[in-house]
Amino acid sequence: MKKKLWDPVFGGVVIGISIILTFYVAGRGLGASGALTAFAATIQNILSPSITQSSQYFSKYFANGANPLDDYLVYLIIGVMIGSFIAGMVSKDMKLEVLKGPNISNKGRLWYALAGGILVGYAARMARGCTSGQALVGGAELSVGAWAFMFSIFAGGFAVAYFIRRQWI
Amino acid sequence: MIGPLVKNGIISDGVNTLFAVLIGMLFGYALQRSGFTSSKKIAGAFYMKDVDVPVVMFTAITTASIGLWGLSLLGLIDLGKFYFLPSYLLPMVVGGLIFGVGMAMGGFCPGTSIAAMVTGKIDAMVFVGGFLLGSLLFGDLYPWWDKFYNSGANGVWRIDQLFNINVGLAILLVALLAVFGSLGMRKLQYKFWGKND
Repeated sequence: MKKKLWDPVFGGVVIGISIILTFYVAGRGLGASGALTAFAATIQNILSPSITQSSQYFSKYFANGANPLDDYLVYLIIGVMIGSFIAGMVSKDMKLEVLKGPNISNKGRLWYALAGGILVGYAARMARGCTSGQALVGGAELSVGAWAFMFSIFAGGFAVAYFIRRQWI
Repeated sequence: MIGPLVKNGIISDGVNTLFAVLIGMLFGYALQRSGFTSSKKIAGAFYMKDVDVPVVMFTAITTASIGLWGLSLLGLIDLGKFYFLPSYLLPMVVGGLIFGVGMAMGGFCPGTSIAAMVTGKIDAMVFVGGFLLGSLLFGDLYPWWDKFYNSGANGVWRIDQLFNINVGLAILLVALLAVFGSLGMRKLQYKFWGKND
């Protein structure tokens, strides 16, 4: 039996505290997309150094022998993986599975997951961050751009929800 | 001990890295315990079927905002040494719209997909693969959107500056939006989907 979830207000307070802690200790916010992009750049640099070096965007990741994986956000994300793994064990929610609504096949759901991932990966770079690094941290910093980003996320999601409802409801 | 600890020389870079892992653990633990490893729960927000995601987001932002400026008021933290995110209004709006479409389709955002991947969610693993491809697409074809990406650079631009009000009042407005936004969305959820779903 899975353990009952936290109350969302309690969960929000704990996430808020983790943001305060990164500022108190490191003077900066947390984030998730930066580490994933560093990982993507690293893989590409191994597979095809020429594409990476000729990319105006990624070449600076490796300038002067820099290692993009030696980054604050990468260590933070390693922590996220450990923390979520522990929570999954403690709450007995560790299972290989595909979550979806009742009206779509596993395969169909995975195609949506891939397409959604590509869009989010692109958009997170365009917006200079994601829901955590831009919307939550920027939102707490009272950044106008971050608030605009967050409202746009919900606008985009609500706009498309009806057309993909078969996947979820 | 006045923060930021690492910038004030109170802790070393190595200790800062250790704290990064520890804070990440707290964040990851909270994501999983809030139910954010379920794509179905996250996507539910876009149908008003489960509004926990926006409630958690509103609460986290309000908590962090009050905490940051509160600690500064108490003299426990030096806001001048913070890294404030710059605003690029148009790329952030366009990025947000695409992000929202992708989030509704994929059922995750980057942080939640990482948290879900390690608890065995296969859709999260596929989503992360897509994310890597999408960010490579952005970076490798960067000259195509270079100009747009850097357009409308507004620098550090805060709500208090936008409305020309006091920071404290801006935080109060954020808190009110969080409270009434959360209550209002919960009401809509119950109205459309009933109380027991």
